[in-house]
Amino acid sequence: MKIYTGGGDRGKTSLFSGERVNKSDLRVEAYGDVDELNSALGALVAFLPSGEAALAEELQRIQSDLLHVGAWLAVTPGSPASSELPSITEEHAQGLETAIDKMEQELPTLKDFLLPGGHVSAAWAHVARAVCRRAERHVVRLLAGNDEDETSLQLRGVVTYLNRLSDYLFVLARYCNKVQGQPDTIWRK
Amino acid sequence: MKTFNTDRIAAKSYSTTLLARRWLTEKVFEIELTRPSSFQFTPGQRIRFSPETRQRDYSLLTTPSDSTLGLCLFNVEKGQFSPVLAAAEIGTKFSFTGPHGYFTYRPSARPAVFVATGTGIAPFLSISRSGVTEFTLLHGVGTASDLHYQDFLRSTARLYVPCLSASPDQAGTIENGFDGRVTHYLKEYFPPDTYDFYLCGRQEMIRDVTLLVDERFPGSLVYAETFF
Repeated sequence: MKIYTGGGDRGKTSLFSGERVNKSDLRVEAYGDVDELNSALGALVAFLPSGEAALAEELQRIQSDLLHVGAWLAVTPGSPASSELPSITEEHAQGLETAIDKMEQELPTLKDFLLPGGHVSAAWAHVARAVCRRAERHVVRLLAGNDEDETSLQLRGVVTYLNRLSDYLFVLARYCNKVQGQPDTIWRK
Repeated sequence: MKTFNTDRIAAKSYSTTLLARRWLTEKVFEIELTRPSSFQFTPGQRIRFSPETRQRDYSLLTTPSDSTLGLCLFNVEKGQFSPVLAAAEIGTKFSFTGPHGYFTYRPSARPAVFVATGTGIAPFLSISRSGVTEFTLLHGVGTASDLHYQDFLRSTARLYVPCLSASPDQAGTIENGFDGRVTHYLKEYFPPDTYDFYLCGRQEMIRDVTLLVDERFPGSLVYAETFF
């Protein structure tokens, strides 16, 4: 199947809710960040240490959820398209919190700033974390001045989710280093 | 970890049986399949067959209240699956997954304009048979003999414009028909305004109409389903 249509050759694209917007539109920036984050997670999964099948499955669930997040970012307020998308609730952020708590039980207490890096899987977790933060900043900009419509309410849930996902990815980077026997690199001022 | 849920109907696997086949032209045919009792869908959605490692999606032309499922296919020479459906004996069993896709009707204050080429008419049949009537429909085909559902569509659409792309001596004649492609009609004759465009058919049509919307109908919405 050919994946190209050519409809975007002149710098515009169609949102999920049907509007034609410039590819420099803030919404496109935001869901582009989420796409980049998802791709970084794919690289992270590819470099996970062997024996981490459950973690790989967890990350692939997050990748799947990020497709829903991207769809919400491609819907304008008030669009009937919103009825076709799954809600983003506090439970999703809480699921990440549970996963964070579980990994932290196996990690030494952190008392210093770390340099992103270490094992290649940890390095990808840090890349994903930084992209996740950028996505979060763009979604916050999208929300500025918006009303309390359904789409905006969902985007507030997205902000919470991305904020927690960034924390998850930071802890995941440390966890990946630990299971690989790679010590975290402390920032020497 | 909880994953996101939706009220939308989730795609599942089903078994179905070929009940009937009707050839509309030398290359285009309609098939009727049994409808699994638990299979639900929204007009405009697709079902997917997965022969070997390939996937072939077809839009349903029947409605959620029909007791069987209907598809309209172009028998692609050396195609992956349409020749199988074209030749299968009545009673043959198939498996499919569905429903797939988001190409569904979304009511709005803007006029709806459905644009189809060839068998891309299928989702619009399902949508209009389900009760949607306030739409303009442009159906691009080669010749008048390719307008298989015109009687129903002519009586249902607010405006129905068959667009015949073959040369005039081959295209035949048709009531209120337009000699030329749907893009030509939209560019030269369709009044500039803001619309909700629904496009289904060949990739080239979808590209050309989408770019035309940017130029001639700014502020309009575009929903597209590409047939490859």
